[in-house]
Amino acid sequence: MNRKRFLKQGVAVLMLAAAVFVFGAGELRAQQPAAQGQPAAEAAKPEIKRVGNDLGLPAKLGQEIAKAPEGKGKGQIDPTAPRGVFGVPGAPQVSWILTLLWAVWVGWIFSTVGAFGGIMAGVGHMTVYGLGDWVRTFRETAPGLNKTLTDSIRTSNQFLVGLSAILSVINYFKSRRMSWPLGLALGIGSIVGAYLSASISGGRVSFSQYQGWFGVFVLVVGFVLIYELTPKGQESKKAAKAAAQAFEKTVREKKDIAAAGVTLKSFGLTQSTMTFFGADFTFNPLAAFFGGLVIAAISAFIGVGGGFLYVPYLTSVVGLPMFVVAGTSALAVLLSMITGITTYIKVAGAGMDWTLVGTQLIGIFIGSMIGPRTAKYIPEKWLKLIFIVLALYVGIGYLSKGFFGRAWVPM
Amino acid sequence: MAHPLDLWLAPLFGLTASMPANGAIGTFLLAGIVVLLGELTLRIVARVNRDHLARLEAELKNYQELTREAERRGDAASYKALNRQANSAFGHVFFNKFGLSAAALWPCFFALDWLQARFDPGGVPLPGKPEGVNYVLVFLAAYILARILAGRLRRAAPRRIARRRARDGVAAA
Repeated sequence: MNRKRFLKQGVAVLMLAAAVFVFGAGELRAQQPAAQGQPAAEAAKPEIKRVGNDLGLPAKLGQEIAKAPEGKGKGQIDPTAPRGVFGVPGAPQVSWILTLLWAVWVGWIFSTVGAFGGIMAGVGHMTVYGLGDWVRTFRETAPGLNKTLTDSIRTSNQFLVGLSAILSVINYFKSRRMSWPLGLALGIGSIVGAYLSASISGGRVSFSQYQGWFGVFVLVVGFVLIYELTPKGQESKKAAKAAAQAFEKTVREKKDIAAAGVTLKSFGLTQSTMTFFGADFTFNPLAAFFGGLVIAAISAFIGVGGGFLYVPYLTSVVGLPMFVVAGTSALAVLLSMITGITTYIKVAGAGMDWTLVGTQLIGIFIGSMIGPRTAKYIPEKWLKLIFIVLALYVGIGYLSKGFFGRAWVPM
Repeated sequence: MAHPLDLWLAPLFGLTASMPANGAIGTFLLAGIVVLLGELTLRIVARVNRDHLARLEAELKNYQELTREAERRGDAASYKALNRQANSAFGHVFFNKFGLSAAALWPCFFALDWLQARFDPGGVPLPGKPEGVNYVLVFLAAYILARILAGRLRRAAPRRIARRRARDGVAAA
């Protein structure tokens, strides 16, 4: 491997690691004042009646419900109220029609624009279904419940976006196009990253903090979309397309299918060589491992799949061609999703509303059928503009509401 | 507390006098129904989106083959450009497959909701573990088993039909 590529890999891994460190540090800073201020505030408070039992709710959710103040006001639990989302009495009753319609929109985006569907799934949970405003009411009265419900929201997000990988992984396995040496390095990194992220942050992130970081993430996606619309972004895309077409013209008559399958020719911690469909590829297993670790950690924290991060990392930084990367990145998404979700549920005790997820999946597959039939009537540039506006709006709104307590845009 | 699916699903868990046997048989039958329902909706989506998906897959395959060719020829500029195009094509294929995944998996979550209402926190009683095992784990194992069985049955069906036709002297049209 040349020095330039090694430096590129190092810088990318460091940048991703820094992002995770910032997430963690931000969270610690957010928790310290609350912990310091707690004894004085509690001494001044009158005796509060607590719910006192888990109301039949599972694990951590039940424990936190038992500790929550009982009553009909904001930030209180009324055990006699009708059960809403996650089975909690008094929680928002999410209309299945609204859930279905929003999920149709999410499915439409997945099938036309791609990764932005995951962001809209998160917006659905936090804003459209009203979970965010409800969870926020427990910030002062039952901080433990606030954090457990935040875990439930990000687990629900991850379920929706991570499921996108299942069929891709099965197909790539069947067609023997899964590059297992790369998959092993990336997959182990993803499992470690998702586990660490979910077990460290599970039960510790307040809803406001989560919403703030989700907003930062959406803004970053928005700026990437803006770059793609700038003359420079358009030019590089056009140049890539033209170069691809020119090359295609010269080899149109000379297509050959090399031997199928993957074999590992040599293994080293920093340099391994594999044969993939007849061609040799050299990659750095350590770079794949650390990349997988950091990307899975970010994905599990935000509650997204991460496919849109794995692919550019492996193609641009690790320097592998797309046809080697495709199945492997789908596998990494699946592994990090499974690890993240099981860790949130088993270690952090996040409760799940399975019917909500099931209803959303129905909407998503309906939307995915409508998408290809309707998107052709909207120019790609217009689609991008719509999503830039949405990304900036949601990003600024969530960032301000999460970190500063008040949304700078109406929401 | 009654669950809307009790009427249809509770009888699956009362087929014998033994609770652990009921747990095992009931979860497996439930997983079978879930696989069947998922397979049906998957086929609908796959059929409706067939042309669109085939076009995207062909585009991806084309770019991937061209990237390989550019790599083989040592044409770095074309390789980079083609890899970028393949990257974009893969994104479209990947997220379009989500519709298929959703179509295949949506019934799992309604089954999990019912199992949660009936068997959480105690767990599903199973032979050798009558005190109960976590409902998600039991369902996941039963679902994987049911999927493997459904796949084998599907592959065996055309062979069985062909054998029967040959035995009955029906010409394969």
